[in-house]
Amino acid sequence: MSTDGNLSGKRFIVPIGPQHPALKEPGHFSFTVDGEIVTDASVRLGYAHRGIEKATESRNWTQSLYLLERICGICSHVHALAYCLGVEKLAGVEVPPRAQAIRVLVAELERIHSHFLWLGVAAHEAGFDTLFMYTWRDRETVMDILEALTGNRVNYSANVLGGVKFDVTPEIGDTIRRGLEFLEGRTHHYLEVVTTDQVFLQRTRGVGVMSLEQAETLGVVGPTARASGMIRDIRVEAPYAAYADYPVQPVLAEAGDLEARFIVRIKELFESYRIIRQILDTLPVGELQTRMPRRVKAGETVSRVEAPRGELFYFIKSNGTDNPERVKVRTPTLCNMASVLVTAVGHQLADMPMILAGIDPCFSCNDRTVIVADADGAAYTWEQIRHHGIAFYQGK
Amino acid sequence: MDVLRTLFTLMIFPGGLFILFNGMVYEWADRKLVARLQNRVGPRWFQPLADMLKLLAKEEVVPASVDARLFIGLPVIALAGVLTAALYLPIAGLPPAYGFPGDLIVTVYMLSLLTLCTGIAGANTNNRFSLVGATRTLTQLFSYEAPFMLAMLGPAVAAGSWQIGEVMAYAAGHPVILTQPVGFVIALIGLMGKLEMRPFDAPEAETEIVAGAMTEYSGRGLALFYLGRYVELIAGLTLVAAFYLGGIQNPLDYFVKTLALLLVLVGLQTLMTRLRIDQTVGLWWRYGTLLVLLQWFVTLLLRS
Repeated sequence: MSTDGNLSGKRFIVPIGPQHPALKEPGHFSFTVDGEIVTDASVRLGYAHRGIEKATESRNWTQSLYLLERICGICSHVHALAYCLGVEKLAGVEVPPRAQAIRVLVAELERIHSHFLWLGVAAHEAGFDTLFMYTWRDRETVMDILEALTGNRVNYSANVLGGVKFDVTPEIGDTIRRGLEFLEGRTHHYLEVVTTDQVFLQRTRGVGVMSLEQAETLGVVGPTARASGMIRDIRVEAPYAAYADYPVQPVLAEAGDLEARFIVRIKELFESYRIIRQILDTLPVGELQTRMPRRVKAGETVSRVEAPRGELFYFIKSNGTDNPERVKVRTPTLCNMASVLVTAVGHQLADMPMILAGIDPCFSCNDRTVIVADADGAAYTWEQIRHHGIAFYQGK
Repeated sequence: MDVLRTLFTLMIFPGGLFILFNGMVYEWADRKLVARLQNRVGPRWFQPLADMLKLLAKEEVVPASVDARLFIGLPVIALAGVLTAALYLPIAGLPPAYGFPGDLIVTVYMLSLLTLCTGIAGANTNNRFSLVGATRTLTQLFSYEAPFMLAMLGPAVAAGSWQIGEVMAYAAGHPVILTQPVGFVIALIGLMGKLEMRPFDAPEAETEIVAGAMTEYSGRGLALFYLGRYVELIAGLTLVAAFYLGGIQNPLDYFVKTLALLLVLVGLQTLMTRLRIDQTVGLWWRYGTLLVLLQWFVTLLLRS
């Protein structure tokens, strides 16, 4: 994975990252190119690891919620949702149906804003800045809705353990409906653009194709999997929160290329609009929160939700105190990253930013610890590395 | 007096300062209009000038692995080339400052010098992005250069002269845009290729290769390359307007026609997605060159 001193040799490696205009977050990709054709690709992650999982262990259950919501700036709500669902399951708490419906409502609004954001980023990577600017302008509509609903544009902080913080009033419902009407019109337009603009299609059709078999082998999730014809949607496979009452029709495409990923994501927007309207029409009446015990019964659980990028997985273990024993997060980007390296080979260097953007990567969410090993290759335990650190700095 | 007059022509008007400022204004107009069409605010009117002043005042970092003379010399040659080309053109609606039979060929070659220098400048450094960018710049040069030149020579063949002034006089009396529509389209799109405007901006695709051949340039060198591009924008627009839009008789004529062409370029830039380099080459050699050759034959047949 050497990235220097290969100019005279056969291998010419183009390094993308850790700092590069194509990357909005740090990651490192090495593309070995033969002329313009990529013959090999490798990735190195971990530049933005923040140690959030470890930090939850020294905070109580409620404090951890706010910390985990800040894992991702785009899909903040689903992180909090996955955590809440897990902890509520451990504590044996039943959340009122109105709260569950509001959680789904916010999750779908978040999916809209995330997909609009992705559409812009992907268009920018292709060099279609006009589409980028227009989608991001329209995205402001859903950001405004989220702000009106929750008071925040990014970390909405909609969840509390045992329910949600705010109610959906009829007035805010009307605001949402008006916003959705505008967005739906725009979405029809964007669907037309990405399926009919000939110049744009030259950059997406048949590029970065991933077959159904490949998708299954690589274990991809979310819209990336669905664009290859694989039904991978937690909302459908294992409905959580209120998704059992508001069933989702999974959007599928067969082609597996970049165009298919555009189509799947855009068509998912229509599905989101439909669900939100349905929730607004049939919002269950009742409480917003239930009482949550300060300590959670000992045990462990797994909680999965469908983030805009795919399956978000939480493992939560409690030891009966008011702090979590262990919270393990696996974000969808990690599952999809391998598919970039496989589909990249054989394509042109110019397609790399788009193929990478095709999985909608979110680096700092998926970054996790590096394995720290001593000279013999034996990995340190947490306790050992702590002692090593103390000894190291005392020696300074 | 003659020396003073020559100096004035070269340094201030219509060459030198005037064309540099004219270029910056057009560059601003281009950026501002694209921004407005993209629903952005866009730069303020003095932004290109401010950029240039800042860059010229900055330290020029010469990377360790380059041939320093080449690294410093190339931007100067590039700017000198396009400024020389401008002397043979009816800048600001005045008759060309200089002219001789065959100056059209010299002008078109001088205009390619900028791209050539950019390519060599990229190849001169050891930076991977620069190397890929230089390869793309030169590949693109070979794809649009021939059709662009043929498109420029089309009206010249019809006029029976390879002197810009005479071709212009012919263009003033004949609707060249109607008799040679293919040539006009090719010339305009070729100009976009020359200026590396979208969709032909693969050589400087920021999401792939940062700034392409320019990646290692900073300060003065970068400023001179930018100025070269601004002048080329003016020269290219003037050339196309003079040949295809019925010549350029007076300053008003000049500004109206070149700005109208700029508006077309702005529209195309806004609508297009960046093409991959293989798609650019395919486009030019599969369609552009063949069409313009066809146009040539028709022109030749009709003339004889």
